Amino acid sequence: MVKMTMIARVTDGLPLAEGLDDGHHLIDAEMYKQQVKALFKNLSKGHNEASRMSIETGPFVFHYIIEGRVCYLTMCDRAYPKKLAFQYLEDLRNEFERVNGAQIETAARPYAFIKFDTFIQKTKKLYQDTRTQRNIAKLNDELYEVHQIMTRNVQEVLGVGEKLDQVSQMSSRLTSESRIYADKARDLNRQALIRKWAPVVIVLGVVFLLFWVKAKLW
Amino acid sequence: MGTENPGRPNFPMRPSSTPFASALPTMTPFSSRGPMVGSEASNIRPIPPGAPPTMTPFSSAGSSPPTRFSDPSVPSPPITSVPSAGGPFQQYPTPPFPSTVQTTPTRAPPVGQPPFQPPANQISAPPVSFRPQSQVPPVPMVSAPQTVNFPPSSLNVPQPPSESLFSGPRPNFQPTLPPPDLSYSTTKSTFQPPFPAYPSKQPAVSQVPSPFPAQQGSFMPPPPASSSPFSSQQGSYVPPPPIAAPLGYQSRDQMQHPGSAPPIGGIQTLTEDFSSLSLASMPGSIEPGLDYRTLPRPLDGDVEPSSFVEMYPMNCDPRYLRLTTSAIPNSQSLVSRWHLPLGAVVCPLAEAPEGEEVPVINFASTGIIRCRRCRTYVNPYVTFTDAGRKWRCNICSLLNDVPGEYFANLDATGRRIDLDQRPELIKGSVEFVAPTEYMVRPPMPPLYFFLIDVSISAVRSGMIEVVAQTVRSCLDELPGFPRTQIGFITFDSTIHFYNMKSSLMQPQMMVVSDLDDIFVPLPDDLLVNLSESRNVVETFLDSLPSMFQDNVNVESAFGPALKAAFMVMSQLGGKLLIFQNTLPSLGVGRLKLRGDDLRVYGTDKEHILRLPEDPFYKQMAADLTKYQIGVNVYAFSDKYTDIASLGTLAKYTGGQVYYYPSFQSGIHGEKLRHELARDLTRETAWEAVMRIRCGKGIRFTSYHGNFMLRSTDLLALPAVDCDKAYAMQLSLEETLLTTQTVYFQVALLYTASCGERRIRVHTAAAAIVTDLGEMYRQADTGAIVSLFCRLAIEKTLTNKLDDARNSLQVRIVKALREYRNLYAVQHRLGARMIYPESLKFLCLYGLALSKSVPLKGGYADAQLDERCAAGFTMMALPVKKLLKLLYPSLIRIDESLLKPSAQADDFKNIMKRLPLVAESLDSRGLYIYDDGFRFIIWFGRMLSPDIAGNLLGPDFAAELSRVTLHQHDNEMSRRLMGMLKKLRESDPSYYQLSYLVRQGEQPREGLLLLVNLLEDQMGGTSGYVDWIMQIHRQVQQNA
Repeated sequence: MVKMTMIARVTDGLPLAEGLDDGHHLIDAEMYKQQVKALFKNLSKGHNEASRMSIETGPFVFHYIIEGRVCYLTMCDRAYPKKLAFQYLEDLRNEFERVNGAQIETAARPYAFIKFDTFIQKTKKLYQDTRTQRNIAKLNDELYEVHQIMTRNVQEVLGVGEKLDQVSQMSSRLTSESRIYADKARDLNRQALIRKWAPVVIVLGVVFLLFWVKAKLW
Repeated sequence: MGTENPGRPNFPMRPSSTPFASALPTMTPFSSRGPMVGSEASNIRPIPPGAPPTMTPFSSAGSSPPTRFSDPSVPSPPITSVPSAGGPFQQYPTPPFPSTVQTTPTRAPPVGQPPFQPPANQISAPPVSFRPQSQVPPVPMVSAPQTVNFPPSSLNVPQPPSESLFSGPRPNFQPTLPPPDLSYSTTKSTFQPPFPAYPSKQPAVSQVPSPFPAQQGSFMPPPPASSSPFSSQQGSYVPPPPIAAPLGYQSRDQMQHPGSAPPIGGIQTLTEDFSSLSLASMPGSIEPGLDYRTLPRPLDGDVEPSSFVEMYPMNCDPRYLRLTTSAIPNSQSLVSRWHLPLGAVVCPLAEAPEGEEVPVINFASTGIIRCRRCRTYVNPYVTFTDAGRKWRCNICSLLNDVPGEYFANLDATGRRIDLDQRPELIKGSVEFVAPTEYMVRPPMPPLYFFLIDVSISAVRSGMIEVVAQTVRSCLDELPGFPRTQIGFITFDSTIHFYNMKSSLMQPQMMVVSDLDDIFVPLPDDLLVNLSESRNVVETFLDSLPSMFQDNVNVESAFGPALKAAFMVMSQLGGKLLIFQNTLPSLGVGRLKLRGDDLRVYGTDKEHILRLPEDPFYKQMAADLTKYQIGVNVYAFSDKYTDIASLGTLAKYTGGQVYYYPSFQSGIHGEKLRHELARDLTRETAWEAVMRIRCGKGIRFTSYHGNFMLRSTDLLALPAVDCDKAYAMQLSLEETLLTTQTVYFQVALLYTASCGERRIRVHTAAAAIVTDLGEMYRQADTGAIVSLFCRLAIEKTLTNKLDDARNSLQVRIVKALREYRNLYAVQHRLGARMIYPESLKFLCLYGLALSKSVPLKGGYADAQLDERCAAGFTMMALPVKKLLKLLYPSLIRIDESLLKPSAQADDFKNIMKRLPLVAESLDSRGLYIYDDGFRFIIWFGRMLSPDIAGNLLGPDFAAELSRVTLHQHDNEMSRRLMGMLKKLRESDPSYYQLSYLVRQGEQPREGLLLLVNLLEDQMGGTSGYVDWIMQIHRQVQQNA
């Protein structure tokens, strides 16, 4: 069963449309929405991702397709046939491109195509029940191949970004710390020099002073 | 006022309408009347010294209970004004004397006394009658007849005393009076209708016509007209004629300054004084004795203060934000001397005229520019520094970085070079497109849900039919196509849900009768997309009236139905329209007939009637707001429906209460149709929150209006539109403000019907001043009255009506006293009433407010439901509408109807507003009274039958209460309808239903129109002049 549907622009993660009253039945709807947002952010950072992917999260699965710089994402039960889910997304894509295709690049505000939610709503209902004649026919249709689509875990996917972030953070920390180290080393060096020659200088100074005093007194 | 002699310290604040009047002959004849008078004339008691003789004869009058001392501000005891609202009027315009206009003053008091005898009403007017007496002393020759004349003709009479108070009319008084008294006492036994009081019908009538001419200079002693007893009295009493002549025109003036000086001399100096004053345009002043016609009246409607925009041209338009004074005091001590409210009235979505729409700005990827610390939005008053790299917040003066995309160089004067392309830096009102951070969910679709009562009374009244038709006709215009969602629930003792799935041919009805455990029978399709299920919805609306036409169920399971609607709507939020026709009687939230109990009035429990009875309603309102549901309540019952409880739903969800008492589709159908249509089709802002920010050192502390406060300063407004305004008061946090200017910024974050999330920002600046006078100069009466109104209505929820009115009056008095202290001495205005020019209407509006439906009178003056409904309405009204409601327009239209070709362009000329006094009504005229909620069309008795015939068709002779106005096939009727249409268009937020009334048609005329002539004395309330006098006296007392 389709729980949630979101459409966003890949280039900047701007949400374009969302299903009406999505996810209000779920207890953790907010958490899943956060995950979706994180996912969009990852995509917009340009991590090269496959154009079709399934991502498991808890009892649900995110399915998404990326077409024409737009990401269509839906969240379903794990038991929901993958094939139907991607069919559903294809349907959305076709309609969305037909209606809004020209304005996708220029959309400047979030949810610029929120009117699309009525179509989402309608289509969702068609896919709600996996046992309708129509859906069974689709399932049996072998034309559409979904076996190759990768399935990964959400932690993994979101983790990639996290790890990269970590690495870059660590490296930047490394640079700054090595710089500090260099500074300190230079400082120590100078101190060592002073410590080494200071007694000699002092002794010499005293000697000269004595000479000078002697010369004066005599 | 004469009574205010120094000798009477204990009764400092005595109402003008005091002792003598009542004590004197006026009252006397009717011993029976004694008691009622008592309340008004309470002062009688103390007076005795002055007029022992007077008192004696009428022991009954004298003994009347002196209830009033404690509370002088309210001249007439509201309590007494019991049932016979109609009573007083009955007699007033008796056919033979059409020109009775003048009698108005007399009419007022009657209401207070009605219980006793309607005919006596006219007579009783104690204040009126008494005035003459106070005058009597100084002008010894004044004859009885004269005094008789004056009362009706001049309200002013009472005022003079204020000047002369101390001069001591007393001494004179005693000597002069005795004779009359004697005569009375003697006469009394013989005839009931003794002289000054117009005791009986005949004298009253006879005198009525005369006063005017008398004033004009001819000054005819009324005797001729008067009935025999009367004239006889005169004879016995004093020789009237001689005086009359000299007094002639000026008599009034003379009367006014009785004690202080030789009458005539006094007048002259005063008039000179006055004229010089008016030339100097100093603080306005009312010279107490002046003609009531010269009192200030807002006949031009609401005038927005210009200083607001002039001083700071980049401020937002006053239609969005009005400050009670645009000069903000700089110190606590100054605030404490400013006794008026200090705050603002905000109408964030006010309708802008063509061409002045608020510009929409999209920062897109830049993000909205806001101050880091105080979250102020960028506005015209921020300053850019550091070559354009930084900007300083005008509210908290923090230096912020300018984001790269927003950077622009500064020119030599420090202005950004791209200023003309940045409306947010030029205009006080802008709208920002909100980025995703401002959304917790995608923008919701506009959603309308209808909860309709279908019990028998609803069916009978025809309400269901009108609602169904109206909703159906509005389907095309509902905002937000194609996302709009719609749903219906009907209920009587059970709850009916409707499945409107788009694939159905017609809706399926599901009945849930388990009221204790409500459940929703379907997961979806109870709330459907309108554009998809259009056919089903239409079928439903077409069949709705017939579906229930045979329903005989009298119960109303309102509470459970409300819960069901809440469950259906909670996923999305939206607007819930409730049509309720009976008192909720089943399930949770059932209410009982706690009713209007006369005995409760005046006690500490009075206000409880105006509060919701069952906590269910408040709790429900809180839940509804949380889920972004706004409620509008339409109530129709002819019986008590506990609007106080039902209205709570609207109050806390930012909604509105529409009340149609005794709804009949034939009569009120049109009104409901228009108002419902307006409610459905006006531009609405959904799931909104509003916050107002202001500069350092000041803070908004209290908010007034219909909304829910989410945190200390965030107003939650599930659905808000152009007809809603919110008021707030501010206070100083620091003892001394050091800055020159203070800034205010209103931000409303909302979802537009088109699905855009936007932030509407209004910014305004105001100067900080150190001078109280400046504050007065820049005061805005409209905003002040609006705040006063809300404070007073809120006060009625915790106190008695009386207390609410008193506190209002006290504040006005305090403010004027403060002003007086400021200026009276320096302008040598001595005994004069002075007021700031900017607040010249304040007194009048204060009076209007205390006569407005939520505040007026007591038990009998307004039904409880009506009172509560009006209270809820007035809590949300924008300033302009409120002022119009408080001081409605009265327009004479018969002449313009007769004019051969009155074209549209002289519409403005026709609309000349008249003062709201009975004198304005000419019996040969046709008038429209328009308070923004209804029209009352008044047909003068002597209006030419032509006009009446043309306008009313064959019904023109019938009783007008059964006649409705519709267009007839003639020029005049068309023109009138055109005129009404134009009036309605100029004020579309409510529909003004026309009520027709003919002069003399009692009690209808009284109820509809005469009570609303607020400058007149009526039902124990003071008239304008009396009110001014009262205030004036109180101002002077502790000055």
